Amino acid sequence: MNILVCLKQTFDTEAKIELKDGKINAQGIKNIINPYDEFAVEEALKLKEANGGEVTTISVGSDQTQEALRQALAMGADKAILVEFPNSDEHATAKALAKAVQGMEFDLILGGHVAIDDNSGQIAIRLAEELDLPQVNVVTKLEINDGKAVCTREIEGGVQIVETPLPTVITCQKGLNEPRYPSLKGIMQAKKKELKRIGLEELGLTVDNKVEILEVFLPPQKEAGKVIEGEAEEAAGELVRLLKEEAKVI
Amino acid sequence: MTASRELYWNIHGHGLMYLLFILALAVFAYGFYKKYKLWRLGSQENRIYDVPTRIYKILIHTLAHRRILREGYAGSFHSFIFYGFLLFVFGTFVVALQADFGLEVYKGGFYLGLTLFMDLAGLAAIIGIGMAYYRRYVLKPDGLDNQPDDAYSLHLLLLIILTGFFMEGLRIAATQDPWAAWSPVGMLFATVFGAASVKTLQNIHVVLWWVHLLLAFGFIAYLPYSKLLHIITTPLNQFFSSLKPAGALKTINFEDEGLENYGISQLEHFTWKQLFDTDACTRCGRCQDNCPAYLTDKPLSPKAMTQDLKTYLNDVANSMKNMPTDQGETAELAAASERALIGDVFEEDTLWSCTTCRSCQEHCPALVEHIDKTIGMRRSLVLEESKFPSEVQTVFKNVENNGNPWGVGFADRAKWAENLGVKIMSEVTDEVDVLYWPGCAGAFDDRNKKVATAVVKVLKATDVNFGILGTEEKCCGDSIRRIGNEYLFQMTAEENIETIKSYGIKKIVTHCPHCFNTLKNEYPEFGGDFEVIHHTKFIHNLLDTGQLFIDQPEESYVTYHDSCYLGRYNNEYSAPRHIIKRIGGKIKEMDKNLNKSFCCGAGGGRMWMEETLGTRINEERTKQVLATGVSTVVTNCPFCLTMIEDGLKEHEENSVKTYDIAELLEDKIYCR
Repeated sequence: MNILVCLKQTFDTEAKIELKDGKINAQGIKNIINPYDEFAVEEALKLKEANGGEVTTISVGSDQTQEALRQALAMGADKAILVEFPNSDEHATAKALAKAVQGMEFDLILGGHVAIDDNSGQIAIRLAEELDLPQVNVVTKLEINDGKAVCTREIEGGVQIVETPLPTVITCQKGLNEPRYPSLKGIMQAKKKELKRIGLEELGLTVDNKVEILEVFLPPQKEAGKVIEGEAEEAAGELVRLLKEEAKVI
Repeated sequence: MTASRELYWNIHGHGLMYLLFILALAVFAYGFYKKYKLWRLGSQENRIYDVPTRIYKILIHTLAHRRILREGYAGSFHSFIFYGFLLFVFGTFVVALQADFGLEVYKGGFYLGLTLFMDLAGLAAIIGIGMAYYRRYVLKPDGLDNQPDDAYSLHLLLLIILTGFFMEGLRIAATQDPWAAWSPVGMLFATVFGAASVKTLQNIHVVLWWVHLLLAFGFIAYLPYSKLLHIITTPLNQFFSSLKPAGALKTINFEDEGLENYGISQLEHFTWKQLFDTDACTRCGRCQDNCPAYLTDKPLSPKAMTQDLKTYLNDVANSMKNMPTDQGETAELAAASERALIGDVFEEDTLWSCTTCRSCQEHCPALVEHIDKTIGMRRSLVLEESKFPSEVQTVFKNVENNGNPWGVGFADRAKWAENLGVKIMSEVTDEVDVLYWPGCAGAFDDRNKKVATAVVKVLKATDVNFGILGTEEKCCGDSIRRIGNEYLFQMTAEENIETIKSYGIKKIVTHCPHCFNTLKNEYPEFGGDFEVIHHTKFIHNLLDTGQLFIDQPEESYVTYHDSCYLGRYNNEYSAPRHIIKRIGGKIKEMDKNLNKSFCCGAGGGRMWMEETLGTRINEERTKQVLATGVSTVVTNCPFCLTMIEDGLKEHEENSVKTYDIAELLEDKIYCR
């Protein structure tokens, strides 16, 4: 069973976002595999351990994205592909992925249901459309039997169990598994594994972003809460005044 | 008439003795060689450099019984037996000088003195053996397990002395020895024979002489097949003991191209010295008696670990015997190990239960080294198998991504020091004399930020020119190294060393004894040679040199908790106590203090693991705190502080407060 895993490199969850010249300053920021994509890598590895086959990870990004791919290789993935296409939007990324996987043999494409940086949650969905494959999203349990995927997915107030034939695209949600920590042996082996880099030209793809980022700004600093001192009657009066004049909610 | 006695009185044909002696030596040599071959199954390690220091170790630990005497009862009986037999060996040597080398030394005043001393030594040894019987078979302390060999060994020693005394008594009675008064115990034994005829006495004497001889030679022959071998292996183990700082774990050289294993997962991954340890162990149980994991019902006993390794070593060797030898030693070993080292011989839970408090190594009279073995096996689990308690994974990732186990974004690492006016190295151009290293706890843990703040207040009260690394500081790596992630530790350590060096820093003050130990004892191996001082010692020096003064000492009763990494690992017991006294504190010691201090439960990476087996170590320590009846407990370690505060909460004890030593000082100091 051959599995493709789409992954994105994101900032660490604890990274402190700062702006410089109207852009996010990536200086000194530690990058990680998008945590939801990490669930996808883990699930692929588990399926491979149970059924055999190969796990290939693929990412659209820059030079730096190699770190994330290497990390997936260290976890146990067999191959990695980097499509060199920095700053692509969702539309362009999905097009690039679709083109890159064209001709590859696979039974399953896994990915996170959303990336923690832009929260856009589109890539896997768009990719399924591009490839004309069925898709199941936000999956918390996955079973593969007789060429079918049985997926448990979270819905409002309950769960839904969905069955789909392979090949298919599935996006992963927290709860699906606990991603493994790469062993040192895995890290050493990963250094020798294949990491293929492809440019857009090599892919024979011309695609432009459809979305332009106009402005990036930080949310306003949250002010500390106020404690109103004094007797109840006085304090209530002050509270009303503040709600009217400062908060302007009444 | 010159005082002496006739050697070989009443004995004919004692030449046979030499033949028997050679026979005994041969049996001994065979047994010892078999042991030697087992030790050689271990991997290489140099433990013979710096011979003078190593000989000194034997002198203090064997000859002076330094650690053995820490336990009053067991220590005294062991010394009675040891010194008694030591004198016998000396006496026998003197007799041999005269009998076999013709040196007429066994006479006159020397003879009388030696006779008297040997007589008293024999008495002492009998008393010692009696005490040993009583302890082993009547008192039955938990630390002892009884095997047939223990009884045989004691019987053998007792019989050798008793037959000796009876022979002496018979000789005195039969020869009317004019110097008998110098053998008071022998005289006592002489009275047993009452009015027996000289002939009878001589007949019994001859029989006893040969029995005594056979027992003594049997003792030599039996040594390698018994715990008695410790007479040889324990001093040797002291000779071979590690001369590295106590707090420095063994390093894996990742640049070694031939490296095949990371850590210990098979018998041959242990070094020869680690295997030798198992034969130096006498099963005295002191390691176990002092082990916080064992004492809180976890599946760990350091004594059992040493013995289980010994059994495994013997098992593997036995099954190796039955195999063809053309496959090379490693293949043979692998095939012979029917039981897996980790999983079968040592359960994973056992390995994870250790807090690396070092009580076992501190109290082992044989200087057995337990911790490197446990960490070695943890390394195999982490680096090779990626198997560890699940909560540890977050810790690894947190250290990787944010340089601290808590996982708080590294950008906030200097936040605690905002508004304190502390120099941050990257923001100033001038050099500092001292780098203050708050560590992850001081920078991120709310309770311990107060300690870091207190340290800053103290430093600012003096002329000390100091700074912090701020966001550039990373976890020292103590926990992750002890959990077994040597790879991540080395990466982190190297980054820290590079940062520290880039500012030309020579001197570092830490308030966490874990950081202190790692920076001081482990970083030098990676090129980090700095003078590292724990804040207790630094403050003590400031007080002693008149750079800091106490404003109106107030008398108060406190108890002081020795942390493992300041106390046992780095031998600093006096500076903190000195400071407490200077501010007017009267220390009410807990029963377990100084080198017997009971771990808080957080060392060895246990800070980051759930404690689900047995009872909780910190609650046990808190009980000991509460038993002192004082309302203030003083610590020197962020982990201990957290653990004891948690313990007090569990005991629902609100009246007892926990402070770091710096917090006691912060409002009571001034600088002239």
